[in-house]
Amino acid sequence: MTAGVRHNVSFETNNIVLIALVAILYSLFKMATVWRSQCAFARLFAGKTGQILNNATDLGTKLGPGSQSAILAKKYSNYAHSPFVTKIKEQYDYEIVKNPPEWGYVQRLLPFDTIPAVTPKDSYPSGWVPPKEEAKTLPFFLCRTRNHEIPIYLQITYRGIRKITKIKRIEGDIWLLNDEIKSYLKEKNNRYVETRVQEVGRFIEVKGDYVNQLVDWAHSKGF
Amino acid sequence: MTSALISAIRRLHIAVTPQIRVYSSNVAATTSAGSNSLSITKKEWAFQPQYTKPREVWIENLDTIEEQKLGLFELHPSVYAAPPRLDIINQNVVWQRKIRFVSWAHTKTRAEVRGGGKKPWPQKGTGRARHGSIRSPLWRGGGIAHGPRSGKSHFFMLPFHVRIHGLTTTLSSKLAQDDLHIVKDLELPTDEPEFLAELVEKRNWGPSVLIVDDTDYAPRNITAATDSLAHINIMPVYGLNVYSMLKHDTLVLTLSAAEKIEERLLHWLHADTRAQSREYKVNQV
Amino acid sequence: MGSRQITEKSLSMLRSLPRISLGNIRDNPNCKKNPKRGRAQHGGDKHGAGNKGSGQRQNFMRLGYETGNNPFYLRVPQEHYYRGQHLRREYPPLSLHQLQNMIDKDRLDVNQPIDIASIVRSGIYNFFPDLKQFGVNLTDEGADIFVAKVNIEVQWASEQVIAAIEKNGGVITTAYYDPHSLLLLKNPKKFFESGQAIPRRMIPPPDAIEFYTSAKTRGYLADPEEISKERLKLSQKYGYSLPNIEKESNYEMLCEKKDPRQIFYGLEPGWVVNLKDECILKPKDQELLQFYNS
Repeated sequence: MTAGVRHNVSFETNNIVLIALVAILYSLFKMATVWRSQCAFARLFAGKTGQILNNATDLGTKLGPGSQSAILAKKYSNYAHSPFVTKIKEQYDYEIVKNPPEWGYVQRLLPFDTIPAVTPKDSYPSGWVPPKEEAKTLPFFLCRTRNHEIPIYLQITYRGIRKITKIKRIEGDIWLLNDEIKSYLKEKNNRYVETRVQEVGRFIEVKGDYVNQLVDWAHSKGF
Repeated sequence: MTSALISAIRRLHIAVTPQIRVYSSNVAATTSAGSNSLSITKKEWAFQPQYTKPREVWIENLDTIEEQKLGLFELHPSVYAAPPRLDIINQNVVWQRKIRFVSWAHTKTRAEVRGGGKKPWPQKGTGRARHGSIRSPLWRGGGIAHGPRSGKSHFFMLPFHVRIHGLTTTLSSKLAQDDLHIVKDLELPTDEPEFLAELVEKRNWGPSVLIVDDTDYAPRNITAATDSLAHINIMPVYGLNVYSMLKHDTLVLTLSAAEKIEERLLHWLHADTRAQSREYKVNQV
Repeated sequence: MGSRQITEKSLSMLRSLPRISLGNIRDNPNCKKNPKRGRAQHGGDKHGAGNKGSGQRQNFMRLGYETGNNPFYLRVPQEHYYRGQHLRREYPPLSLHQLQNMIDKDRLDVNQPIDIASIVRSGIYNFFPDLKQFGVNLTDEGADIFVAKVNIEVQWASEQVIAAIEKNGGVITTAYYDPHSLLLLKNPKKFFESGQAIPRRMIPPPDAIEFYTSAKTRGYLADPEEISKERLKLSQKYGYSLPNIEKESNYEMLCEKKDPRQIFYGLEPGWVVNLKDECILKPKDQELLQFYNS
């Protein structure tokens, strides 16, 4: 059924092909209502309708029996000589509802303009932690991403052999932050941790998978 | 270049940078004569600045040759105080140069050079090297192997956020170098180009100036004045781009244009851009 | 250095440097790899390909070929894991933890019924109907921390997930959407802008009917009486007391359900939504009404 509908044939199609298609469509739509076949027919004549997203087929127009017979009666050798559909007898009856009560349902389907800010709540069961105001007084700062997450990522390369934790969007004194996380990770893991500071790109790379520890550290600082 | 860098670093020892700097003041601060009403705007943005403090700039006028400071204005640091990434500015410039460039350089292959159908001498027995055509790439006057062929497009698309970052970082570096000025509006007293040229000269704005307004229709006087000045150009906000900003020495934004740029860039810095960041596909069948 | 604030420092350095212009802008040093090979002492060597053999000539044996042995991939009997793969429906997972995270970050409004349109709208979950993906499979990861009281409609859910949601006084339904309807739900704005009438939702295919008519899986075609019985049964099985949702203040919202033919909440098939003029075109034609109500 859908295969038939997908034939988005423009009006310039050869009429013979068109009639053949109509025959195919008719046989396809035999089990559906007569209305459906009519509408598919109407779509064939309506020209390029753009991308079809819809499996219901209505263009708001009905083709009267007169216009159909006029098209089907004569076989034209060239599509350029076939007439345009002129006799659109009537339109489907519909009402236009301005300020409809259902508009709220439409609005909640429309995408966000910008990603919404998080309203303060008593608790966040998912483990998400809101940033704290006092973090802005520190000599360094980690900016939250637009998705309100902490910008610490794990980069796995060489098929899982090399793991690098990347801290991005650093503001302020990046070298002091580097010293702090180095001593923090050394204390936690009892081993020296290698880091690389990129001052221009404003990120620090830590050799090894320390994402969870560093996220905990960032939460403790209030970022 | 390196000596300039070293001297810049030396100067930094003295200059302990305060969090808020008052930029764009070439002329000694002269408040508007007669009226002491400086309008100071503190702004409430939808997306508050996180760590870097907002920038403060003077609002200037264009209706007199001498600079008058009409007020103070705040600019969002995410847009006007982004870290200056010269590599990202360069990527944008290269992209803007290449996106419309089609190379028409063309050479003929051995098939296209006239003649050369006949084997110049027999394969064997002459004592000479074997050759099949006098237009082979080895021959003088022969075709070119792997030469440029015309109509080669250099189109590519820079990732969306590199383009956004290019705008913010260029605006920030313009502001940091005192090359960005905010004016109240574009009203000039006359439509003579001499007035505008003198104004630019007097205020030390450098020869070339890019004026950006948020509407398509600039006031009549300034359009007439800039018409004959090739190095002073007007542009609407939607035409703002990295290349033009770098091409002109000074960037002059109207108050509304500065706000519009800020609003649009902040929107894209805080919106869901999955559709924009998708791989660019040329719209064709 | 005068200041260790990296942004401020670099901006104030720029202040004393020459003006950035088209003449002096350049990329980071050494960021581009030279496409030309060297012409010096080792420029004409092997270029990492080694000496002689398939390594140098890059004509490796085909994958799995064992130089004449009966290869491993033919030695073992075949097991057709992927038979009928092109017909199978896929339900990309969404965990309860992720769902709670969306609710915490205000991407989902628990005061409205949640369906796949609002889940995709949140920007955290995505799926592709054209790759035979038929919607959300809600998984039980994070079932212990899940506390939200929601009316949620997903396409697939396990018993643990149903228990986790009903324990908090929520309502869960599993509903089938055909790929066309899923395309509309994924990007409703694009569909409304196309100016077409909202179609009907198709009924599930034969092999999915059992799942979507079963009260145990909270299918959308199941008998409501059966579902309330199953809710009680499940609470006894998992050992929690079932909250009485009839006494809730948002009972209306918790009971909100779509018609089996309906795609969007509150919008009936056959309507045309005009986003520009903010109006809805509703058909009155008897023929159309009959079609869309069938």
